[in-house]
Amino acid sequence: MATTPATADRPASTGATGPRSPAREAWYRFSKDRIAVFFLALFAAYFLTALVAWGIELTADKPFLYEQTLHELGIDVAETATPPDTGHWMRLLGTTSAGKSVLLRVFHGTKVAFLVGLLGAGLSVVVGTALGLVAGFFGGVIDDIVQYVYQTVASIPYLLLMLALAFIVRQGPVAEWYNASWLNDYLSLGLFNIVVVIGLTSWVTLCRLVRAEVKKVRELEYVQAARALGVRWPRILVRHVLPNVFHLVIINFSLRFVTAIKSEVILTFLGVGVDKEPSWGQMISDAKNELMRGIWWPLAASGLALFGLTLAVNIVGDALRDALDPRLKS
Amino acid sequence: MIAFLIRRVLYAIPVLAGVAFITLFLFNVAGGDPVAIKLGKNPSPAEVAALRAEMGLDDSLVEQYFSFVGQLLRFDFGASWADSTPVAEIFWRGLGPTLAVSVPAFSIGAGIAVVLALLVSFFRGSVLDRVTTALAIAGISISSLIYILVGQWLLADQWKLFPVWGFESGAGAATFVALPIIIWVALSVGTDVRYFRTVALEEINRDYVRTARAKGLPERTVLFKHVLANIAVPVITRLTIVVPFLITGSFLLEIFFGIPGLGSTLYTAITSSDLPVVKAFTMLGAVLYVAFNILADVLYALVDPRIRLS
Repeated sequence: MATTPATADRPASTGATGPRSPAREAWYRFSKDRIAVFFLALFAAYFLTALVAWGIELTADKPFLYEQTLHELGIDVAETATPPDTGHWMRLLGTTSAGKSVLLRVFHGTKVAFLVGLLGAGLSVVVGTALGLVAGFFGGVIDDIVQYVYQTVASIPYLLLMLALAFIVRQGPVAEWYNASWLNDYLSLGLFNIVVVIGLTSWVTLCRLVRAEVKKVRELEYVQAARALGVRWPRILVRHVLPNVFHLVIINFSLRFVTAIKSEVILTFLGVGVDKEPSWGQMISDAKNELMRGIWWPLAASGLALFGLTLAVNIVGDALRDALDPRLKS
Repeated sequence: MIAFLIRRVLYAIPVLAGVAFITLFLFNVAGGDPVAIKLGKNPSPAEVAALRAEMGLDDSLVEQYFSFVGQLLRFDFGASWADSTPVAEIFWRGLGPTLAVSVPAFSIGAGIAVVLALLVSFFRGSVLDRVTTALAIAGISISSLIYILVGQWLLADQWKLFPVWGFESGAGAATFVALPIIIWVALSVGTDVRYFRTVALEEINRDYVRTARAKGLPERTVLFKHVLANIAVPVITRLTIVVPFLITGSFLLEIFFGIPGLGSTLYTAITSSDLPVVKAFTMLGAVLYVAFNILADVLYALVDPRIRLS
């Protein structure tokens, strides 16, 4: 895939071009969409912000700046909410009702959003792809079992399943096990909870799509040829079948990323989400009491941050779907 | 058709049995000891033993499962742990307020979405199309919580156009459900417009549309007669499949606006670990989901004569 022929740059005319990899072909189509490229850059900026926030968290001394009120830090501000002003950089986006810097909390929230988005969508996509691959490839009893499992999971109302799982992970034996495990040092229980809940409830759509596509791909000549040559099934699955359904995986990943960061807001509001560190969901939830008192800036800052990231992923996801859709190839 | 229905209903049985198993497993095993949840901290050992026996928790999981399924088949959903009200009564009490919000919101939202989607596919590529598409993608990128918070704050708290909180049955309900309905429509219309627009545009690229145009039919006839008839199938399917979710209502809207419907009932039940209520609602949701999926397939065949149920 990575090898690029010397003639890769497409000539201005639509004349004969050298052979190009599907990935490069897709990128070419994607890059024609200026708006999508802009939002891809915005997404990259968010990602960098998240990395920086994570780096600061790993290296800085506790208590973190975002946990302290500006009063404690010796910056002359009352211990209540103050609107945005340019007096000090920590006050640029105002302070929360507890007197903490909104800017720093929104900044750190980027890291939380990426953790939730990447891990939640990652888990969902891995489960969906793996089950879809084996069901479509082997057929028979395995296919029946996988179909039965996803039909059953799909029959439970999504929000109910999500909430029930969230409460269960938090209070039951799972929480006890988690608090004692090494994972707890890296990911708080609240975050782990969101990731598991999203991963285990949202894989059905992708599983269905992958299964249907694999059933078609399985019958193609080159897969038959690989079989006839005696290639073993794990290699056929990974080398020959998976690349042909991978566009579905990528598109679905972007959809699940959005679902995950939007679910963080709802789960956190309902009290089963992020609790140990500031997140956008937490700031939006706090606004329920703050707005009525005229404190709009924490909501505006966290809401806009969330909106920008979601919009970027939605637009890039749409453009990816267009770029990767084999039917649109000329 | 009859044979198809029988087969689908028979096929639903193992699925619902699976849902019952997941429900029982989630709440009686993975969720921790239900006795501890019901009795709170530091109950006496005698109390614990009595309750365990009463709830059948000393039986094996298989025995518990069959007694749970047996209860469900007799429509015996038990009583709430909070105030001993039968679950069936709780359900009927909440249904009215929920439907008062969800049915108008769903109908208005779907109507707006279908009309708008057809319009933008008719004027595809125009300014109207681009603005609508851009607004739709921006609209779906906003958290639903923000719609509710800002809507409630601006329209009810600041401008006093609607009551902030509360509910009343009968005709008085209209003032209380108006704002939740508006917010519901605003937060759902973007997704629906995008979906129906894709469906319509896919249809527009088909051969019969080219033929109709080649015959010299005006674009309006092509779109509203030929295309509309064909997109009816995916539109109906999608709308039928979401109906079960109207019953759970919008959780968040009911909580924020104090509407005593099924959504807020369920929320209270989950947060206070009122397991009989949560289990019954889960099973009910699953039954409705399966039933409406079958209904969607039947409607599918009724609308599109090319589809034969087999």
